[in-house]
Parts: sequence; C-alpha cells; structure tokens
Amino acid sequence: MPGMNSGLNIDDPTVVAAFKTALVHQGLIALLIFFTVGLAWLTLRAWLPAAADGPGGADGQAAAPAAPAPAEPAWRQVLRIGFGVIWLFDGILQAQPKMAVGLPSQVIEPTAASSPHWVQDVVNWAGTNWSYHPMQAGAAAVWIQVGIGVWLLAAARGPLSRLGGLVSVGWGLVVWVFGESFGGIFAPGLTWLFGAPGAAGVYCVAGVAIALPERAWRSRQTGRIMLAGLGVFLLGMAVLQAWPGRGFWPGTGHGQPGTLAGMTASMASTPQPHVLSAWITAFTGFDEAHGFAVNLFAVIALTVIGAAFLTARPRLIRPALVAFIVLCLADWVLIEDFGFLGGLGTDPNSMIPFALLATAGYLAVTRAPVAEQAGEAAARPASRRQRLLAATRPQVLASASIGSVAGLGAIGVIILGAAPMAAAQASPVADTILAQAIDGSSAALNYSAPSFSLTDQRGHGVTLKSLRGKVVLLTFLDPVCTSDCPLEAQEMRQAGQLLGAEDRHVELVAIVANPVDYQAGYTRAFDQQEGLAGVPNWLYLTGSLPQLQRVWGDYGIAAQIEPAGAMIGHSEVAYVIDARGRVRQEMNFDPGPGTTATKSSFAAELTDAAEHLLSQS
Amino acid sequence: MPVMRRTARRAGLAAVAAGFLAAGCASAAPAARTAAAPAPVPASPMDTAVTTADGTWAVAVMGGSAAQDNDFWQLFVRPAGAAAWKLVTPPGTADNGGLIVAGGSGSGLITAFRPSQLLTYTPLSRTDDGGRAWSALSPLDAALASAPGALALQPAGRLLALTTRGTAEQSTGGQAEAGSLTWTTLATTRALAATPAGRRCGLAGLTAAAYTPAGQPLLAGACTRAGTVGIFAQQGGTWTPAGPPLPASLAGQAITVLRLATTGNQTVALLQAGRGSAARLLAAWTAGPGSRWTTSPPLRLGRAALASASLGPAGTVAVLTTGAVLTTGGRAALLTAPGAAWRALPAVPPGTATLAPGAAGETDALAVHRGTLAVWRLPAAATAWTRAQTITVPILYGSSN
Repeated sequence: MPGMNSGLNIDDPTVVAAFKTALVHQGLIALLIFFTVGLAWLTLRAWLPAAADGPGGADGQAAAPAAPAPAEPAWRQVLRIGFGVIWLFDGILQAQPKMAVGLPSQVIEPTAASSPHWVQDVVNWAGTNWSYHPMQAGAAAVWIQVGIGVWLLAAARGPLSRLGGLVSVGWGLVVWVFGESFGGIFAPGLTWLFGAPGAAGVYCVAGVAIALPERAWRSRQTGRIMLAGLGVFLLGMAVLQAWPGRGFWPGTGHGQPGTLAGMTASMASTPQPHVLSAWITAFTGFDEAHGFAVNLFAVIALTVIGAAFLTARPRLIRPALVAFIVLCLADWVLIEDFGFLGGLGTDPNSMIPFALLATAGYLAVTRAPVAEQAGEAAARPASRRQRLLAATRPQVLASASIGSVAGLGAIGVIILGAAPMAAAQASPVADTILAQAIDGSSAALNYSAPSFSLTDQRGHGVTLKSLRGKVVLLTFLDPVCTSDCPLEAQEMRQAGQLLGAEDRHVELVAIVANPVDYQAGYTRAFDQQEGLAGVPNWLYLTGSLPQLQRVWGDYGIAAQIEPAGAMIGHSEVAYVIDARGRVRQEMNFDPGPGTTATKSSFAAELTDAAEHLLSQS
Repeated sequence: MPVMRRTARRAGLAAVAAGFLAAGCASAAPAARTAAAPAPVPASPMDTAVTTADGTWAVAVMGGSAAQDNDFWQLFVRPAGAAAWKLVTPPGTADNGGLIVAGGSGSGLITAFRPSQLLTYTPLSRTDDGGRAWSALSPLDAALASAPGALALQPAGRLLALTTRGTAEQSTGGQAEAGSLTWTTLATTRALAATPAGRRCGLAGLTAAAYTPAGQPLLAGACTRAGTVGIFAQQGGTWTPAGPPLPASLAGQAITVLRLATTGNQTVALLQAGRGSAARLLAAWTAGPGSRWTTSPPLRLGRAALASASLGPAGTVAVLTTGAVLTTGGRAALLTAPGAAWRALPAVPPGTATLAPGAAGETDALAVHRGTLAVWRLPAAATAWTRAQTITVPILYGSSN
C-alpha cells in the first residue's frame, strides 16, 4: 500500500530512542498532572472541610442536596474494571519501542491486506498520517489508552464514569476502523475463532454498556439485550464457520494446512516461550488430523451457546456462560496465542473481552437489581444549567471521591497524548526525525562554497556568484538514475513548495552527477520527468565533462562509472549555502526508502535549513 | 417510548445478523465476472542477436533473482571475423528495464536503455567502434516499447522508435552521430489504424519499426483481420501496405509481426500466424517496397512459445522456443537463407538465452547462469554444441535498489 508506512526499519535506533525519550518526558508530565489534580483536591478539602465531609457544599446551601448515588451493579463493575484493565494493558503494549515505526507496516498493513480496496484506502490514509508523525502518533496511542484505562478503573459512578464509557467507544471505533480494518469483517475468512469482529469492536459494545444511564443499571432488560445480542452474533458466527468452501472443514488440502491450521501454524512460528508454541503446534497437528471434527465442535458450541444466550433463561445461560468462558480461554490460548505474543502485539485480542461481556450480561440478568434510591430524582437540581453551575463550584471537587479525582487526572493524560498528535496532524509535513533516522543530523558549518560556472537546463550560464543574495540548496543528481535521484529531486521540489512566499529567496540547484549522460538533453528530460520544468527557482546545471569533474572534485563528489549495466555510483549530499555564498550545512542526502513520509521529512529538513538562514539574513 | 415487542426485537436482531452474515459471505465470494479482455498481442522477447557490419551483437538478461532490480541486461559483441565474444554493455545507465539495439547497414550501433523503476524516459548511446567507446545521444523523452524491434537506425543516421504510449517517434535530421537529437511523432497507432491500410489490417498495436534499404520508414504491428500482414511503408506522407502475401494455408490466421529489420539491402520480417497451440512462425524477406517478398514455410509452435528471435547475416533467422516445436521437435530452429526450410538445431545447452547465427554458417548459443555467460558453438555441419567461451560479468547486485 503506497504511503502506508515510513519504510524505516522498525528497530531504527534514532526513532526508538526518540520514542522512549518522548514517553519518559510525557510520563513525567502525566505524573505531574495526577500530582497537581491530587494536590488541588487535597487543598480544597483542607480549605472546605464541610464540603469534604460530604455532598452539599461547605455552606450546606450552595449546591442542591443530593441523595447518595446508587451502588454500581456487579455487571457494570465487571465491564468497567475489566475493560479498564484491558485498555491500560493495551496502552502499555503501545509503548513497545518498535511501535512508533512498526505499527503501520507490521500491524495495520498486514491486517488490511486481505480487505477490499476501499477499506485499504481508508486504512492507508490513517497509516500515512501515522507514518508522517510517528513520535506523536505512537505517544498519543499510549497515553489515550492508558488514560481511558485509568479513567474506567477510577471513576466508578456518576457522569464522569459514564463519560469514560463514551470515550472508550470513541477511541475503540478509531482503533476498530483504522487499526483493525473494521475488525476484518469485510475480508474473506471472517471467523470468530480468529477474533472477528475485532477486539476493539467488543470494547465499543462494552463502552456503550458502561455509558448507559443509571436507570438502566437496575433493569434486567439490559442484561437480556446484551446476552441476546451476543447470542445472535454467535449464531451468525456459527453459520459462517459452517459455510462450505471457506477452508475450515478440512484439516489439510492439497498438501497445505486448512484455514484454521494454517493460521495457528503461523502463530506458532512467532517469537514466544517454547511451551506456548508447543501447545499451539500440538493443536495445529490435531486440527490437521481432525479438521472436520474440530470445526464441527466449533460450529456446535457456537450454536448451542448462542441459542442459550438468546433465551435469556438463567438456568440455560449459566451453563452456557461457563462453556463460553472455557471456549474463549481455549481459543485465546490455542488459536489467538494470547493475542499479543509475537510481533508487535497491540491487545490481547477478542476472547477476554467476549468473556467479560458475557459475564456482565449474565450478572445483569441474574443478580437482583439494585434498590432504587428514594427521592433521588427530587434531590437533583431542577435544570441542566443548575447542575452545570453546581458542578463547576470548588465544593464539588472538594467533595469528589478519590476515584473521580483520578478520573480527572486520566482526562489530563488523554489530552497529553491527543493534543500533540492533533497539532501534528494540522501540519501536512512529515516529522524531520525520519530524515535524521535515515541520514543522521548535520553539523553547522561556515566556509566559502567552491565556485562553479555551468549551464542550466535552458542553456543559460550560471555561476555560484550569480546566486548571491539567495539561499542555495545544492545537490548532485544523475539524470538517468532509476532510484534515488528522482526522489531527491522531489524532495527539493517539495521544499520549494513548503517555503511558500520565501521561495523567491531560495534557489534549488542540482548539478549533474553522471560522467556519461551529462548533456543538456538529459537535464531537460529529467526535469520533464520530475515535473520540474516549470519551477522558476529550479536550476539543473551541467557543463563539459572537465567542468563537471572540477566541480565534483571541489565539492567532494564521487561520480563513478560502474560495470555491467549498473547505475553511476555517486555521492548523495546536499549543501545549504547562505546568501553570502558560504556553506552552512552539509547533509547526507540518501533518500532512504522514498516513501511519501520520508520524502516529506527530507523536504521539511531542507525547508528548516533554508528558513533558518533566511531568518538570519 | 413505545416498548418494542420481544418478537419484533428478535426479528430485528436476526436481520442485523443476516446483514452481517451477508457481508461476511459476500466478501468471501469470487469477484464478479468481467467482460473478456482482448487477447494480448504476441510479443518477441528482448533476448536477441543482430548482425551489423561491425559484427554480431547479442542482448541477454543476466544476474537475476526474485527481484527485477537485479536483472541486468548485457550487450555482447562478436566482432566481424573474430571468434570470441566481448562484453560491451554501454556504461552510465542502469539497464534493468532492458536493452534494445539498432544497427544500420553501415557501422555503428545505437543502444536504448528501456526505463525502469523511477526513470520514465529512454537514454540512448552510440558506438562506432564495435562497443569499445560509447557516447550519449539525446534521450527519447518517452518510454521505448518493450520489443526488440522497437528501435531502428536509418543509414543516414535518423532513428525511429516505438513508444509505450503507442507512438512512432522519429529523430529529425541525421544527427545520430552528433549526439543531439530532436524527435517528432511520425505516427500513432490510432492514426495508423484509421488509414485505409490500417483498417484493412485491423491494426491492434505496433510491434516493430525499421527502415527500408532506401531509408523509408517501415512500421509493423499486429492485425486482427485474418490473413493480413501489418507492415506499412510511408510513401509521400501516406502509409501504405507493404507486407508480404501469405500462403493460402494461413489465410484464416491473424498475423503479428514479431521482428522487422533491415540488414544490408534486405529487410526481414518474422511473423506469427494464429494464437495459442495453433500458432506458427514464418519469416519473409524483401529488398524493399515494390520488390517481391520471399516467405519461409511455417514452423508450428504447438504448446511452445517464442523465447528469442535472432537475425543473422544474409537473412538468417534463428528462433529459440520454450519447448519442443511440432515441426522440428526441438527448441531451436534456423532459417539459413531466404525461402529456406526450417532446420532443427540439436538440443540447446541449458540456460540458453539466445542464438546468434554467424557469417560462416555456424550458430552460437549464449547460455546464461546468473553472472556467467557460456558461449556454445555449432559449426555449420556439426551435430553437437561445443563450449567455446565463458565470460564472467561483474554484476553489481543491489546497485539499482
């Protein structure tokens, strides 16, 4: 998929180090956020002891007296705590050093590969955005997920708790669409056994349940709906599992493992403790030998459990729940390989979320509803405006529980991750760290640039002296190069575009770096190829071979003829020359993988260098 | 809010499930059938050999791996009167996209580098000393077509090139020696197909370009109308049919011109009649428009496909196929003179990329294994190939990545 990833090695030490540093810095800020919120809470409690003692405010009159909030039902606790822990765990997984560069290429792209083109287009858009700003995107994913996790764990009741559920739904949708390619529901081979319809989809369902108003907490109907929905889903999955021709019935075919065995075999080959891979390998062998029986068992289990959930009868759903949890755990260990082992795991996959959802549904149906708090409605402020006013009073924070305070801190952590990412997204230019990861940083220089007298693509003579008064971005390009030079030319062109109006103070200059094909016809053909013919401040210079060789020598450029049909080997360097004709920066200019992200990053690096000099002149 | 009845609710859930199932099943279903695309025009592979006054030139792809970027095309020459081959690949440009050569009736050879990767135009080089020294010509500002006959050199120095965008470009003046070329569009496939000659042929695409011994441009292509050979000569600004009449046995076959070249005072064409297992090859020779064509008997390909076609001295044509052909039973066959019958050659050595007919009636088989070229020689009356030479080519793997 073009543009999907930065093309950098996921272990790239520059990016990994920068990602770790960013996380440490932001982690310290996160701690500071919690400390500040906590300190404010303690201070207010000290100043407003009456408020701290209970609801009603310091004066007992300021806020309308509120009845004790209803106790949180067990089913909601299961969802809130369970998914809070999962979000927290997912956030920690996002902090893996390889994640900043690796997520688009190692996670998103393979997931989307089998989906239709329109899904790939959607996912590609997100992957490209991520690859433009890997630091900000990687850190945002960490802090948003950690924040949601802490939020759900800390805020047990009240609007803040429900809002946590909604935020979980929102971010879950983002992950489901862009990270999981809509949970793979549009890809062939959809099966519950592999995690359909995507773990984040289950997070969303749980988030909706957590966000339900308190009156829904007391109704068995909530549980019935949850179980019925799950039941219908499982029945549908059973039909898909049984559908002929999808490769699940045979253990092997034409000497190749069947769909399920092929999947588990690939899971077993990922890096993980031997004992785990041994289990999966054993299961793979069993499935290859008894593929029909394994699939028949899966179909029957899904059908029976789904039908039992659909009845919502406690005597049926109790054994069904036990069976479902056992099935989920077995699938999680033997098929999903715990979801996060091997490669770049981002979550524990869907089985634990499914088990939590089913357990919550069961508890909602079977546990006695929480007794309604008499007079609760009457105790509330009369209007939304009054409630809002009351909520903004210092007394409210003073009287808040420690959980709510931690929830507020979690919101701060989410903003800590989301705000830099949002700011980065506002820029269409990739982070310069990609260029630095490829070619390293350049040192500041200050020496007189060697002079030259050459001819541009239009046949006009050009000397370095004639360019005085302008910043010169100078590089050396082979006009018949098939790989790097066209990319470098695009980077120069993009740099010119990024400079905007400042462009008129900058000359983009390339000198031919080919001792064979150096004639003006080649510079013109190259300009045509790269769309540079109409760029007013683009100069592609050439001359006689002795003239060129002198310039190459002065600038330390090697341009070597290679044998047997190989390209000219030449140095890839860019010089940044100030308006007085002095070299101020020398950059390695190997374009690396030449993805849209790296091209943009190099263009940004050139632009920064030119703008720096322009600001000094 | 009205309470939803249980049955209605379950029906709703079932509908959602059905929709979900439909999505899952539909995505696994095979793609819808599309209208049948027209059959591709047969093409001649770019491994080849040609003869000029300087000697015999052979082009073969070497190196090789799963990555096309490690396929490097090489040019070898066996100078006139010499027994040994030399590596003379022109320097300065990555040639992963292929090399196409054009020689005139005199000395001199033009080599075009087909574009690859991010290069989209066609660099050109010229040698006048048998490949010892090369000089760059102004490039063709388009991608040269992927066919060994896509470039032709006029005795007066003009060049004629077929491009991937379906045009025939001709350099103006006779500046091929001077290095600076300007190009103008001589014809387009669409315009040529709209001429009376093109309509009669049902021209589907251009496959080869050449000049007559007198220097008139010739274009050739694939005809969709049976029994018509798509060779066109430009006379007085008009394109006229210039192909050979075919034997009655081929009257019902669609004809594609695979190769068209002029050596000395003779133009030779290699034709494919029919498609698939009914395909046959035949050659035709003429001294120019107005002169009679001589045709060879057809060579029935059967399940084999053309792997290489080479044009040697005095109208010699050698073909190499991917499998045994029906007419001769072997993979290599030779036409030693205009109108002659196909002669089966002994089983070619493994790795043979192309055949190079020599001036003394011998045939060389150029066999490739990664960076090594083995030359096997079959003298005129011999029945076995003899290893004559080995050339190690210093390929820079990975240099085009």
